[in-house]
Amino acid sequence: MRELELYFGPQHLGMVGNFSIRLKVEGDRIIKADANPGFLHRGFEKLMERRTWMQNFPLVCRINVVEPDHMELVYSMGVEKLAGIEVPERGEYIRSIFCELARVGSHLFGLWAYANMLGFDTVAQWAMYHRDLILDLFEELTGARVYHIYIRPGGVRRDFPDGFQEKVIKTLHKIGSKVPDYNATFFENSLFKKRAEGIGKLSREEAKSMGAVGHALKATGMKYDIRKIEPYAAYNQVDFDIPTREGGDAYSRLLTIRDEMIESVHMIFKLIDKMPDKGEVYTKTPNPFKWNIPEGDAYVRCESSRGELGLYMVSDGGDKPYRVHFNTPSYNHGLTVLEKALVGESISDVGNIMISLYIVAPEIDR
Amino acid sequence: MEELKKNILSNFNDLEIYTRQDNRMFINTKKETVLSLLSYLKNLGYDHLALVSCNDWIDDGEFELIYILSAYMANDEEYQEKEKRNIVIKTRIAREEAKFITVIDIFKNAEPYERELHEMFGIEFEGHPRLTTLFLELEYDIPPFRKDFDTNKYVENKYGQIPTIKERKSNKRNERT
Repeated sequence: MRELELYFGPQHLGMVGNFSIRLKVEGDRIIKADANPGFLHRGFEKLMERRTWMQNFPLVCRINVVEPDHMELVYSMGVEKLAGIEVPERGEYIRSIFCELARVGSHLFGLWAYANMLGFDTVAQWAMYHRDLILDLFEELTGARVYHIYIRPGGVRRDFPDGFQEKVIKTLHKIGSKVPDYNATFFENSLFKKRAEGIGKLSREEAKSMGAVGHALKATGMKYDIRKIEPYAAYNQVDFDIPTREGGDAYSRLLTIRDEMIESVHMIFKLIDKMPDKGEVYTKTPNPFKWNIPEGDAYVRCESSRGELGLYMVSDGGDKPYRVHFNTPSYNHGLTVLEKALVGESISDVGNIMISLYIVAPEIDR
Repeated sequence: MEELKKNILSNFNDLEIYTRQDNRMFINTKKETVLSLLSYLKNLGYDHLALVSCNDWIDDGEFELIYILSAYMANDEEYQEKEKRNIVIKTRIAREEAKFITVIDIFKNAEPYERELHEMFGIEFEGHPRLTTLFLELEYDIPPFRKDFDTNKYVENKYGQIPTIKERKSNKRNERT
């Protein structure tokens, strides 16, 4: 049969986000896939070298549009490490609760993308609505819906408003009560199972050799999670589980995402119970325009909702970073794992595999 | 950590090892030893290449290449000390003739990182199968992430002079009168 070259994305209907793949196809089987990123490249890492440590926050949170909070967290952790700042206990708890809320919101957004792409519009609308409820909480807490700039070096910007914890619990109960409906219409729906089972299968060895993190690994049974491996914020204060599956295909990946969402909700309840009632939420930092950070370099990492998120940061003793390099989970998934996972699959499953690997284009390009 | 340090020092010379933060080991080494050090550490179980980065030390006339390793879990049940660690390997190459060897044979996922460094810093990686552009569309005289690439000047040349707020105010005043 004749080989054809097909440009898939960024305008293709099956593509989510500004990303493109050059496919070589024979009939509708893919022989070779060549990822083609760069539609969202804004050169953030270079721009950050010209801005002071605090001025970088509006850039940092735009690296990942879907969940900016983990980006803020990892950047703050890097600055804290270089400047030697400690975070007060209540601040750590608030960070954890905030990041888990962000994880639930981000997973719901991912669920929207997946369901929407496969034509399960009802589920997609539910997921979007439930994400919106979480955005309402963020709006009350930080004043912004998507880009919060709430976490800062030394802690968080402000304390919880009165009665906020109760609102969080109420909202999460409301979302949680819908889980049986989600299961019946989506996760255990045989239509969805047929589309997702056995698609984009990766064995553990393959995933490891290509540097996969997050759900791509958890779906092969490995409990690789930075929250457990190297606990940051208040994650060592509560007991939680890392959900895994054995299949390694798109269906297993999606089930780990669902289970992680449920686990996160339980974790938020535990964190709220254990949180100290009073206390400072941030340590004072110097005037941001005159803040020189001692010379040195640091590597920090946290677990974003897509997997291990790292940051390598160098300071030359000045008021601006000398070099910042974000190691984002989508980078490996989009440029190495995806190219491998697509070979031998059908064109109609490209979007399916891409979203199940949880690839977000702005995170790759930066 | 101490044990690992001893092991590395007994197998390699001309290394400099220091720990600056918890669970992070920084190794300064010569460029000839990087490949053998990476494969040695991979055999010890540090089998995840987390990041390949580069730092432009323009005053020294050198690029610093940075390889960050960590370990995947060896068994499914418990978390070990090893997984907490990150090993940061640093080496310097001359800025004038920026050339290095690819590490794809050891870590497959180094491919896009090296492509990015080739594009942004102009470093040639020998043995890399496709050193094509990754993100950028246009060609630049100086690779854009080098320190001597002036973003202000580039914007001025490309889009013309943008008046400062003071100039804009005085222009408006002149227009009115």
